[in-house]
Amino acid sequence: MEYEFLGFSLYAWVTMVTVLSIFFVMARTRIPAEVAFLGALTVLLVTGVVTEEEGMAGFGSEPVVIHAAFFVIIGGLIQSGVLYWLTKNVLGDPKNYRFAVFRLMLPTSILAAFLNSVNVVALFIDAVKIWSRKLNIAPSKLLLPLSYAATLGGMCTLLGNSSNLVVAGLYMSETGKSMNLFEPLLPGLVITVIGVIMVVLLQKYIPSRAPAEQSFETTSDYTVELLVPTDNPAVGSSVSEAGLYRVKGGSLVEIVRFDREIIMPVPQDEWILGGDRLIYAGQINEILELKRTHGLAAADHHVWSINDIDTKRKMRTAYVTFGSELIGKSMTESDFEQKNDVVLVAVARQGSRVAGQPREIRLQAGDSLLLECPPKDDEKLEHDNRRSLTFFDSHFVPQISAKTVTSAIILVLMFLLSSFHFLPLMATTMLAAGAMMVFGCCRWNNVSKYIEWELLLILGSTVVFSTAISKTGIADIIAHDVLDLCGNNPYVVMTVMCLLASFVSEFVSDVGSSAVFFPIMYKQALLMDCNPMPFIMALMLSVTISFASPIGSSCHMLIYGPGSFKFTDFARLGIWMHIVLLIVALTIVNLIYPLYL
Amino acid sequence: MKTTILEKEGNLVAVFEGRLDTAAAPETEQALQPLNDCTGHDIVLDCTNLEYISSSGLRLFLAVLKNAKPKGSHVYITGISDSLRSVFAMTGFTNLFEFK
Repeated sequence: MEYEFLGFSLYAWVTMVTVLSIFFVMARTRIPAEVAFLGALTVLLVTGVVTEEEGMAGFGSEPVVIHAAFFVIIGGLIQSGVLYWLTKNVLGDPKNYRFAVFRLMLPTSILAAFLNSVNVVALFIDAVKIWSRKLNIAPSKLLLPLSYAATLGGMCTLLGNSSNLVVAGLYMSETGKSMNLFEPLLPGLVITVIGVIMVVLLQKYIPSRAPAEQSFETTSDYTVELLVPTDNPAVGSSVSEAGLYRVKGGSLVEIVRFDREIIMPVPQDEWILGGDRLIYAGQINEILELKRTHGLAAADHHVWSINDIDTKRKMRTAYVTFGSELIGKSMTESDFEQKNDVVLVAVARQGSRVAGQPREIRLQAGDSLLLECPPKDDEKLEHDNRRSLTFFDSHFVPQISAKTVTSAIILVLMFLLSSFHFLPLMATTMLAAGAMMVFGCCRWNNVSKYIEWELLLILGSTVVFSTAISKTGIADIIAHDVLDLCGNNPYVVMTVMCLLASFVSEFVSDVGSSAVFFPIMYKQALLMDCNPMPFIMALMLSVTISFASPIGSSCHMLIYGPGSFKFTDFARLGIWMHIVLLIVALTIVNLIYPLYL
Repeated sequence: MKTTILEKEGNLVAVFEGRLDTAAAPETEQALQPLNDCTGHDIVLDCTNLEYISSSGLRLFLAVLKNAKPKGSHVYITGISDSLRSVFAMTGFTNLFEFK
């Protein structure tokens, strides 16, 4: 601890470099977030910055335990049909776009406060897409308001956004006092109302993007890959003789032979060999008819006989999600097809054709894939790949039964118990999770399926970073430095810190940013003899309003693929929302909480 | 890659030696020209010393067949190794040609 450089100890430097490396890894590489966070935690443990006890304490901390229990509760709500009932009944039948935006944002923001913003967005994506078809507008025009509504509504309770729980958890470990579930309600409500009004007024900044799944149906220019089985009668004849040159809805643009030799352009008298991959451009549905009419196959491996083709296999469309392991790779470079018994038939990128063989295309986030899938086990396919792909036709329709009512009652009781402080939030969520299983709303053997372990690992690690930042004196030094710079003016300090925190949040994640800035802002409040509450609440709110990039907001990330958005689409409205809501947050927090006690 | 055309027992025999890959295909196509005029003869494609055949090589075989058939000539393939046989099998060529 004797070595010091620029006022920071060696441990402090290790911590800072580690935390900054995570930011870099998250922004510039495809390493999964939980791996990056756990890697950083390992560095802190090995270098002795945190003790074993401190290093592991994060995983038993309030935010992690509450999240884990909450996943079980959500699992119960899904299985017992409560969430299904909500999506069916909450949305009405809007007559025009402006009304639709309002009609969508109001209930979803309220639900997000209770069910967590990410859950609400995931829940409503399909319903919103059906709406957009009815209203004849691009889904992006409604998905973006959905994401805003959920994130804004989520600001109203501790359960609404993950970062709220992280801040509340850190507050408890610093002060020993647990925060009320509805502590952020008042400022959250004001921000939500202003935010919703802003989205309605600034709707010209919401981009209209052609829906990806429709592009498969209607656009005339897509590339489809089909294989000629060995015993196909067309083998040995020319493409035009076999009726495979100009086909209904498209034309043959390329032949890839078994030895990867490419014939392009294809002359009409080119012969067909078994094992050829025929690449067509045109209307997908019509071209896929060739499977039935001409005995072609969608396949990742060679097919010997037409009889080997399972005619019951079906076409499903899916988006490549953010952080998907498929990004940057083509199907031929990965074992995805073999592992899941699927075949990639076509790729669409932002509503237009991607040239070349579909299975050789390096995929990007947001790409829409047309996959030929096994006839059964739809849910297993979705579940096994839930971090890589989102299926358009994600179904699973639960039955409405007595359990629906039971699980709804459990949820309401949980909120009543914790809001009236009968029990701390951690205890009530665990109790509710237990009740979901005891009353059969959530099946025992399905419990772990609903828990997103990756998020728990990230949350557990962020808590440890926060510990390291306090312990190594980084919080102290930065707190002092900022105070010196800002002339000990609490308003200026708060503004500068929130600006920084929300900026970092745009590029990393709200959870990471709140864990890093919490110890510093808490320290600053104490140094200025201020009430820490306005500082903490300002931090909680400002990390969530990072709407200008899909990285800063987990909800934006969810709608990125389904809305066929471009990366920069979020900035147009997001920057305005970020600036205005930050000002509102700082103002309202200081009106509600006294700066000095 | 070496291609020799012989006349043996009334048949036209093309003897292949080496690797018939994409690069060798144009030269082999030239060498097979005499087979175009095959009226009254059957054709034998001797693959005993053929080490490899690419898709463009198979195209040449198919061209020989397409030319010979209307003239009433048979095309036989002889001496193919196991690895060549698997290529012929996969591409469906075993159903098109006769093997000796």
